[in-house]
Amino acid sequence: MIRHRIWSITTLLVVFTLFLSACGGTAPAVPSASNTTPQAAPTTAEATQATGATSASAATAASAMTSAAATTEAPAATSAATEAPAATSAATQASGAAPAAVQLPADAAPLEQQVYVTHYDNTADFTTIDFYESVYKRGGAISDILSDSLVRLDKNFKLQPGAATKWEVDSTGLVWTFHLDPNLMWTDDTPVTADDYVATFRYGADPKHAWDFTWFFNGVIKNWDDVVAGKKPLTDLGFKAVDAHTLQVETQTPAPYLPAMMLYSDTMQKKALEAHGGLYNSDPATSVSSGPFILQEWKKGERLVYVANPKYKGTNKPMIQKIICIGAAPSTDFAAYQSNEIDFMSGPNLSPADNTIVSSDLDLQKDYHPHYGDFRTHYLFFDFQNPPFNNLKVRQAFSHVIDRDGLIKSIIKPTQGLPAYSFLMPGFPAANSEALKGIQNYDPAAAQKLLADAGYPGGKGFPKLTLWLRNEAPVRQAMAQAIAASIKQNLGIDVDVSNKENKTFTDAMNAKPTQIQFGLVDYGMDFLDPANMLGVFKSGGRHNWNNKQFDDLYNKASAFTGDPQERTKMFQDAEKLLVSDVGSVFIYHRTPGDLYRPYLKGTELEPDQNGKAAIHWPGFTSFSTLPSSMYVSKDVTNYRKSVPQ
Amino acid sequence: MARYLLGRVIGLIGVFIAVSIVAFLLMHSIPGGPFDEEKSPLPPAARANILRKYGLDRPLYIQYLRYMGSALHGDFGISFQNPTETVLQTIGRTWPVSLRLGGLTILIALPLGILLGIIAAVKQNTWIDYVTTFVSTLGLTVPNFVIATWLLLLFSVRLRWLPTGGWGGWKTWIMPVTALGLGPMALAARYTRSSLIEVMRADYIRTAHAKGLSGRRVIMRHALKNALIPLITILGPQVPNLVTGTIFVEVIFRVPGLGKFFVSSIYLRDYPMLMATMLLVALLWSATYLLSDILYTVVDPRVRLYGD
Repeated sequence: MIRHRIWSITTLLVVFTLFLSACGGTAPAVPSASNTTPQAAPTTAEATQATGATSASAATAASAMTSAAATTEAPAATSAATEAPAATSAATQASGAAPAAVQLPADAAPLEQQVYVTHYDNTADFTTIDFYESVYKRGGAISDILSDSLVRLDKNFKLQPGAATKWEVDSTGLVWTFHLDPNLMWTDDTPVTADDYVATFRYGADPKHAWDFTWFFNGVIKNWDDVVAGKKPLTDLGFKAVDAHTLQVETQTPAPYLPAMMLYSDTMQKKALEAHGGLYNSDPATSVSSGPFILQEWKKGERLVYVANPKYKGTNKPMIQKIICIGAAPSTDFAAYQSNEIDFMSGPNLSPADNTIVSSDLDLQKDYHPHYGDFRTHYLFFDFQNPPFNNLKVRQAFSHVIDRDGLIKSIIKPTQGLPAYSFLMPGFPAANSEALKGIQNYDPAAAQKLLADAGYPGGKGFPKLTLWLRNEAPVRQAMAQAIAASIKQNLGIDVDVSNKENKTFTDAMNAKPTQIQFGLVDYGMDFLDPANMLGVFKSGGRHNWNNKQFDDLYNKASAFTGDPQERTKMFQDAEKLLVSDVGSVFIYHRTPGDLYRPYLKGTELEPDQNGKAAIHWPGFTSFSTLPSSMYVSKDVTNYRKSVPQ
Repeated sequence: MARYLLGRVIGLIGVFIAVSIVAFLLMHSIPGGPFDEEKSPLPPAARANILRKYGLDRPLYIQYLRYMGSALHGDFGISFQNPTETVLQTIGRTWPVSLRLGGLTILIALPLGILLGIIAAVKQNTWIDYVTTFVSTLGLTVPNFVIATWLLLLFSVRLRWLPTGGWGGWKTWIMPVTALGLGPMALAARYTRSSLIEVMRADYIRTAHAKGLSGRRVIMRHALKNALIPLITILGPQVPNLVTGTIFVEVIFRVPGLGKFFVSSIYLRDYPMLMATMLLVALLWSATYLLSDILYTVVDPRVRLYGD
């Protein structure tokens, strides 16, 4: 009997090996439903990866932003980037009853092959394709393309006109006027008016709707907070239709970053909203569009299909004629990509094993496009109000024991992240990485001395800690273990690492007082202004590092309408305070990348001002100029045997 | 029999109430809710708005009574994940897919497993037995999501014979059914083999052989029927497992079934969907156990149900 057992076990092993070699020695990608939490606000590309976001000049994006804020009139038709292929913008202007024909570049595949296929995460919450219905329930699918937002971003993160052809602010800095493109029409042949925008913003603030992103406009838009709280009627909201094509936005305090915030303003139709409620775009029968695409089919959990809007009159006219989004668990993306079933795959969905395959395969390497993602930074936070972390020396000691370079080299991998010693990632407006580098540097000797000075020599008397993680991927679990080991080794403090389920973590973090003594978390931007990123550390916000001086500097800088450089300097002072008072221990900036096939082409996919050729945040959506730029080239026939249906 | 059944059904109602209370309490005791604070804590007003929208601002017992009241009228609420349809519509849309996948799997895997088990038992200690043992060991020890990944890598990525997923046409059924069926098939084969070998040593089998019956007749008529009794116990519970879908196989092969909701309803805090799936599972398991108990009397006349 024993011999039989041995025999069968041997056979088993042999067949295992055969199986594995047939599969190219790949470690099977274990599906992880729990790891598929959709990333925060912005779209698909938000969760994306990039290699070393080199030393992108901080000034570039910064100046882009601030200039847009300070100008009284937005640069009209602007750079070559927005004009995309000249052919299309010309076509767009040919308004009239007949749909304008799309003119494709010379190397483009025929019109019927202009199909773009991607996956979306069907294990995530996905109930809407409209930002103002829900931000966190958009499932990471291609969304927000059924109307134009007031402004959009190009590949250099410069604001470009969208549904608004120009905008200006009055002398008080409080009242903004956006002039809408009068050509825009809904598919039911009614014009897009300022009333539609006002109705959309009111819907966002409506307490009955209970929008999950109301915090975004908190303290910015006039009366927003009171309307959300039900203390004032919707009509008191700081959005007003001056006439059919003029929208007025009133802010609580001067907000030079308002145009940047208006990235999220893809309007819903007032008529449809009133007739069918906020989910009218869930069904092609009630869906109405004024954007580059129309909804053709939505089978919940399975697929979502858009086709180009033949009646579209805006400036983001697409060459892609059909978008097919297939519902799938992120762990299956790579197999589908390798089988040529999808054209694009979000880099963060690659497992470490998949990444090994990518880096050893020349073709896949060429398909991999690193970028900045959403300028996400991972950091350690504390319960700042209670011992031991209410002691600055203790926090400083912790900030000096983490060897970021080592973590990046051995765990995160240099293609996936940059060491962080401060919050704002290089390339983000007001980023000041070089100057702040020395404050939280790796210096175990200094750390030991600081801990001893704080009254815990060699970690004696220090409580045992638990480092909380929020549903982190294996790679950051490993990183947390390394951090814990480093704390133990250098400071003699025991640290357990505990990876918590998403909502459990978030609930504990937000509890007042917070229930997390020591945690690892991250933040990525919502719009390109330091006011957004640094706002995380305001008193009463995410963490209880309450610093009056920081708050004052932050508030002053946020509302500052003067010289943009001076404003940048004020934010840099605030960040310096955050870093030196150890409002967090910064670990690394995520630099994601995506895989997409070489037949996806277009000016927006060509290298940006820092030489990065990628599908930049916010991806294929009307928040971006990408839809009017991207097309499928003739090379597609080398990959696809037939046109995807 | 009728009295027995009636007693069991009344017992089931008690089980249902208990399950609903436990599930309801457990699900509300998990931190968080159907709101998302990924970025920043929600302002109190916004949080209150969301709770009010979902009716979560009322005391727990009121919420429970309201839920059960509606449920008794056939209204299981609206799924937070799919606000455009009711929970029943969501289940009605996805469960048939899981039923079909599970049904196909049962129809193929269990008979095949029993057949393999019989062959292995009859040809004990020959190469056929070894191969069967090997396949069974593989099926039992390797989780279905690993098998699914192997199938995917081999047949879709390497050979490009089959699509990586989806649900439509026999080509998309092959891999999910194989991945899902290998385990139950192995289980059936293992138990059939050992049970049959044991029965074949029994005296009445020797008697049957002595009477001059053919080997096939002895096995089919005398041995197998007795060998099936332990199988009912083992395989019965496989049925509700298979027909309610499985998250791994359905997720890997993009089968639009019910399976994923058992997990996603928990981490999305989709209370109505979570309650409905819980109750559905409770119903199916109770029914399965009741059915297997009745089946015992069919295969073994000596078994008497209490109350008969």
